[in-house]
Amino acid sequence: MAILEVHNLKKIYVTRFGGNQVEALKNVSFSVEEGEYVAIMGESGSGKTTLLNILAALDKPTSGEVLLNGENITGIKEKEISAFRRNNLGFVFQDFNLLDTFSLKDNIFLPLVLSGKSYEEMERRLSPIAGKLGIRDILAKYPYEVSGGQKQRAAVARALITNPRLVLADEPTGALDSRATEGLLRVFGEINRDGQTILMVTHSVRAASHAKRVLFIKDGEVFHQIYRASMTEDEMYQKIADTLTVLATGGERDE
Amino acid sequence: MSRARAGQERRAAGREGRPTKVDTKMFYAKLGFENIKKNSQTYIPYLLTCMGTVMMYYIIQSLAGNESLSAIQGGETIKTMLGLGTWIIGIFAVIFLFYTNSFLIKRRKKEFGLYNILGMEKRHLGMVVLWESLYAYLASMLAGLASGVLFSELVFLLAERVLRLKTHLQFEIIPGAMGKACVLFGVIFLVNLLNTLRQIHLSNPSELLRGGNVGEKEPKTRWLLALLGAATLGAGYYMAAVIEDPVEAMAFFFVAVVLVIIGTYCLFTAGSIVILKLMRRSKRFYYKANHFISVSGMMYRMKQNAAGLASICVLSTGVLIIISTTICMYLGTEASIRVRYPRNIYVEVQDREEGTTEKIKAMVEEVLAPYGAKEVDPLEYRYIYWMGRQKENRFSAFGDGSNGDSCVVQFLTLEDYNRLAGREETLEKDQVLLYTEKGKTEGTTLWLGENSYRIKERLADFPLPEEGLGSMVKSYYLVIPEKDTVKELGAGLGYWSGEEEPTDFWTYWYSFDLELTDEQQIEIWEQLSGKFSASALGEYGSVRGAAEARSSFYALNGGLLFLGIFLGFLFLMGTVLIIYYKQISEGYDDRERYQIMRKVGMSRREVKSSIRSQVLTVFYMPLLAAGCHIVFAFNMIRRILYMMGLFDTGFFALCTAGTLLIFAAFYCLVYGRTAKAYYKIIS
Ligand SMILES: Nc1ncnc2c1ncn2[C@@H]1O[C@H](COP(=O)(O)OP(=O)(O)O)[C@@H](O)[C@H]1O
Ligand SMILES: [Mg+2]
Repeated sequence: MAILEVHNLKKIYVTRFGGNQVEALKNVSFSVEEGEYVAIMGESGSGKTTLLNILAALDKPTSGEVLLNGENITGIKEKEISAFRRNNLGFVFQDFNLLDTFSLKDNIFLPLVLSGKSYEEMERRLSPIAGKLGIRDILAKYPYEVSGGQKQRAAVARALITNPRLVLADEPTGALDSRATEGLLRVFGEINRDGQTILMVTHSVRAASHAKRVLFIKDGEVFHQIYRASMTEDEMYQKIADTLTVLATGGERDE
Repeated sequence: MSRARAGQERRAAGREGRPTKVDTKMFYAKLGFENIKKNSQTYIPYLLTCMGTVMMYYIIQSLAGNESLSAIQGGETIKTMLGLGTWIIGIFAVIFLFYTNSFLIKRRKKEFGLYNILGMEKRHLGMVVLWESLYAYLASMLAGLASGVLFSELVFLLAERVLRLKTHLQFEIIPGAMGKACVLFGVIFLVNLLNTLRQIHLSNPSELLRGGNVGEKEPKTRWLLALLGAATLGAGYYMAAVIEDPVEAMAFFFVAVVLVIIGTYCLFTAGSIVILKLMRRSKRFYYKANHFISVSGMMYRMKQNAAGLASICVLSTGVLIIISTTICMYLGTEASIRVRYPRNIYVEVQDREEGTTEKIKAMVEEVLAPYGAKEVDPLEYRYIYWMGRQKENRFSAFGDGSNGDSCVVQFLTLEDYNRLAGREETLEKDQVLLYTEKGKTEGTTLWLGENSYRIKERLADFPLPEEGLGSMVKSYYLVIPEKDTVKELGAGLGYWSGEEEPTDFWTYWYSFDLELTDEQQIEIWEQLSGKFSASALGEYGSVRGAAEARSSFYALNGGLLFLGIFLGFLFLMGTVLIIYYKQISEGYDDRERYQIMRKVGMSRREVKSSIRSQVLTVFYMPLLAAGCHIVFAFNMIRRILYMMGLFDTGFFALCTAGTLLIFAAFYCLVYGRTAKAYYKIIS
């Protein structure tokens, strides 16, 4: 069944001083099945972050609806929204968003602490995740003491520790060097094989080629999508690159 | 490239383009001015503080230099005190403005970095900063001196009232005071400018860009410092709480102050971290939603702010102590006068010949007659004042080879005692009544030289007014059976007072109140004093009047109050500014964390309430600590006030509580106002 359904999403930003309106999303519809690994691609400014913020209930759409497990998240009350977010969604951000006041371990525990879990429970959940992500030895360190790749893996651990239905990642490799990028993408692949549903926004072809499906956004609309099916990573890479070329050159059908 | 960035660089390029053309100097001058405008959120409070400090410095200088003040009685005392005040304000201004300027630089590092990256050399940056300093200096001098001149008239009026001056203080503009202010603040601004230039010079652009938040390292646990803090604070508190002797209290006051200041700084910086780390060590406690966020948040905040908060605490304590003490002293002036002058007029004379009493009473009658006045509440007795040594229960003369502590014994006859106390006590030839003002004797016998006396009773109180001055030495009152008892004592105790001539004369004390105005009382005192000096008695005593001394009492206490208010105001200004800056810097630091917490799954409300509780803790901690300091200082200051003849502890408590309350209200007000700036930044 579809874990996430997005219908006719539209988002118009009105700048603070009135007047100027920016249409970040025009009409976006798609759905994600349980266990899928979907990448969303598009140029900078095409509305990817906007889309993700709406999926994360951090922002409200101008119109349209988002169904998570059949429940419309745009209708959830402000009071319950944080708990909903903690229980159902995991986030990975481009700039990590780790709190510098906490050690990596405490950063990972943060959502669980907020949900009122016991310390023993938190430890029990952390152990396998830390092992899988290879951060067991640096848990006691602080964000400023570790590399970008390690920070991002800690952020992934934080996203996974709540056993979310869906992991949302916004340009997770954007601030990483190529080696760290490879590492992170491998991790994403592994957790997806374990059954984790992932929705990743990126403009990196390399990152997108790891996904099972790639959606292309342009000018606030889903423009095209590619299924990986039985393709290898390299074939996928090539296909995505071709699509992007088409998008950039002949893809101006809307103008 | 985003549109905003492009715009920024275009503008920057425009700036860069201009200096190569014609008016390079004008360019820096203009940029300096724009910078002040752009940073007005931090710059304006700084300028206001500079202005306020200049104003206060000028006012106190002009008051100290006022010619008409010299002419007034007690004017020299006031001038000396104001002179001291100018020094204190000067020193305070240096420290304080340096501190604020460092804060400004820290906030602006990012901006400097940006200019640097956009191609402005450090040299040019220096020029811009130079212009900024120049503007700031001119603005604060002009505004400060102008408002100084304006307000000095007001302050003069206040001074006249507080000091109870009878003459009007001449309003004058004192160029000397202006000159001094210009020089002092010129030096301060120069030092600040050099500090800024040094900061710019030392840094590289990328570092400058990162600015304030380089390596938010977790604070180290400094056990030793925390223990030192606890020890010094404990020692200071203990000293202040247990001290009983006013002279010791006076001597150790500054020791206690230094100990408490050290303790405050250590505990705020190291102690707070130690406590927070201990909290974190307990997993059960720490991993609870509200504790989790606050403990780590507080750790970070304390690392950033501990020194500033300790400064607020010390300044607040200073304000509170200065104001409450000087107010208490000022309002208690009449009480101090009363201790020094138990009656409005007193005559003290050696009772060398028969009829001294009658002669004096006759003189008083004669002087009072034209005024139709009568002696009110007269107090009359004879006493002998003896100084020597005491060892346990043995009293002996100085210089007879014995050792022991210095002591004072005042002898009164049983007759006088019974009359004053309204009792009908009787004493046998070898019996005495003992009243101990300070000191200790044990058992039932006293040795006075070679004679021993039995103590018939240790008196719980004595019917004479308290002496007030916390005496250094032990002091006793001894009631002896009759006048002639001293004759036999004289041999054993040596010469009275250690003089060449045996002066076993009794001193006659006659004093009374008058229901007349101060002016009339002074006239009476002058006449009586004249008659007395002219008579045969004149050589052996004196006449003193409270009314005549009143103006010098008010000059002293009023001068202190005046200084107290001034310093209090200055410290308050400092406190407000530090609080304001803390709020702003906290706001910028918190904004980012606030957003992250929202993304990780805290609701807006949770984040708000968590941040709110932390901010409240941070800002009310200094006030609480200051209150605590005051409570412990109370005993010590109370004892010191004894020396000024202020025995009314309840009254001092009232002054302290009142000051504390008003200060707390003011503090909350400032907090409320500045908190608005904070919330505007984070949301
Ligand atoms: N808070 C906002 N207010 C106004 N406009 C915004 C806001 N956030 C994004 N935008 C605009 O919406 C468009 C899409 O932005 P974004 O979703 O961040 O794109 P992407 O993440 O794909 O780079 C951009 O034109 C951007 O300028
Ligand atoms: Mg984006």
